[in-house]
Amino acid sequence: MKHYLYLNWQSARQALGKIVRQPFGSLLTLLMLSIALALPLSLYLSVSSIQEWAGRLTATPQITLFMEQSAEEADLAAVSSTLTKHPRIQSFQFIGKKQALSDLEKRNGLAGLSEGLTDNPLPDAFVVTPKTLEPHELEMLQKELSGLPMVETAQFDARWAKRLYGMVEMGKQLTWFLGAALGIALILVTYNAVRMQILARRDEIEVAKLIGAPDSFIRRPFMYHAMWQGLLAGLAAWGLTSWLVATANPAIHDFAQLYNEAVSLRGLTPLELAVVLAVSAILAMLGARLASDHHLRQIQPR
Amino acid sequence: MIQFDQVTKRYPGGNEALKNLSFTIDTGEMVFLAGHSGAGKSTLLKLVAGIERATSGSVIVSGQNLSKLRNSQIPYVRQHIGMVFQDHKLLFDRSVFDNVMLPLDIIGFDRRDAARRVRAALDKVGLLSKEKTMPIRLSGGEQQRLCIARAVVHRPSLLLADEPSANLDRAYALDIMELFKSFHQVGVSVVISAHDETLMEDYGRRIIRLKEGQFAA
Repeated sequence: MKHYLYLNWQSARQALGKIVRQPFGSLLTLLMLSIALALPLSLYLSVSSIQEWAGRLTATPQITLFMEQSAEEADLAAVSSTLTKHPRIQSFQFIGKKQALSDLEKRNGLAGLSEGLTDNPLPDAFVVTPKTLEPHELEMLQKELSGLPMVETAQFDARWAKRLYGMVEMGKQLTWFLGAALGIALILVTYNAVRMQILARRDEIEVAKLIGAPDSFIRRPFMYHAMWQGLLAGLAAWGLTSWLVATANPAIHDFAQLYNEAVSLRGLTPLELAVVLAVSAILAMLGARLASDHHLRQIQPR
Repeated sequence: MIQFDQVTKRYPGGNEALKNLSFTIDTGEMVFLAGHSGAGKSTLLKLVAGIERATSGSVIVSGQNLSKLRNSQIPYVRQHIGMVFQDHKLLFDRSVFDNVMLPLDIIGFDRRDAARRVRAALDKVGLLSKEKTMPIRLSGGEQQRLCIARAVVHRPSLLLADEPSANLDRAYALDIMELFKSFHQVGVSVVISAHDETLMEDYGRRIIRLKEGQFAA
């Protein structure tokens, strides 16, 4: 057992040494593998960043009731009492026109805006938090509320966010699809790399078989080679995506600022990185195993 | 050690290399295989080493019936056999030392014990001073001796040599025969094939003569 571990350690070391000694030979394969990994990873990070942000928006869907400009104190009181009694409304908040204007000034740095205006153009508004989260019921409620007297429109704030959410879902599925496709590509690339190695070392394998080497002995260096390549490709893909995130973030930040939102792409968490490394190593070893099973059988001493 | 029972080997294409051959080689025996090329000597040795499988009949080596073994079990049979090839089958991308190390790596020997054994085997064939040389720089006779060192380094109980002296001049050939004799003297069963019978006759050992896959009269 101790010896078996020693042999494995030995193979692992030699395989790594080989990659280090022939960096250019391995580089091309490595580059291919890391790009194959970096593509779905970047998509995954984009989608999950957007999802996080969209999740914050849709967590509490709200319906905003904008009153007509001509609405009076009594109309407001009527709406307010209807909302209080409504069984499907959790809470609501009244935002008067004055407050709305001063909020706008504060929030968007438009100090002095009101001084340039003769009239306050903003309407009185109620921000309603419904009890339900179900899209269909929300729509019904919205329709009902827009029918209240002196209510100009009932705007469902989160509708566009819902749409965004749907797109995020699609993005997620695309990520899975791309991940699976490029995972298969990763297996095929290592399969081919190992096949070339086996064919290049045909004589050596034949002699080893003549001397009594079982397949496991012959396969071992190829498996470790693939493992290192998978791990290195995983690390390289991590580097690529980190670079992408770092380069893209300032632009995204500036863009989001225009809409007064804080959005940024996130990098891989340590756990995600570990999963990526494990998966790429396992897929690479799977490719190596398939190649060696297939091609070692064809090399028989004569 | 080796037992052939009504063994026939037919190659794809119908060529019958061995025809209904039965014989026994005892443990510790040294036997010569004689016959012209194409007589079936190489095929016989390949059957013993499990490189080829008998078409019919049974080949028993060290108590194992090779015809009944699965392909995956054959390597472990070979680990108890030392093989010397006419074309040496050396690996030219590694040193003399590493060539001899290969069988021990396969069996899984402790690295330090293994190095001691490799040097002992190289010393035995007179190549100790060239352990760091690459095999391509050795003469034909030296390459053959390197091949022998590799065949005996793991102390097999059976040594098979297929035309070991075919490409060597007589002095070298005698050298190599003496080496085989010394392994036989420490209890190893030895089977040597050659087409030149004059080398064998001096040794007074059993000679199995083959002709067209059968015992020659």
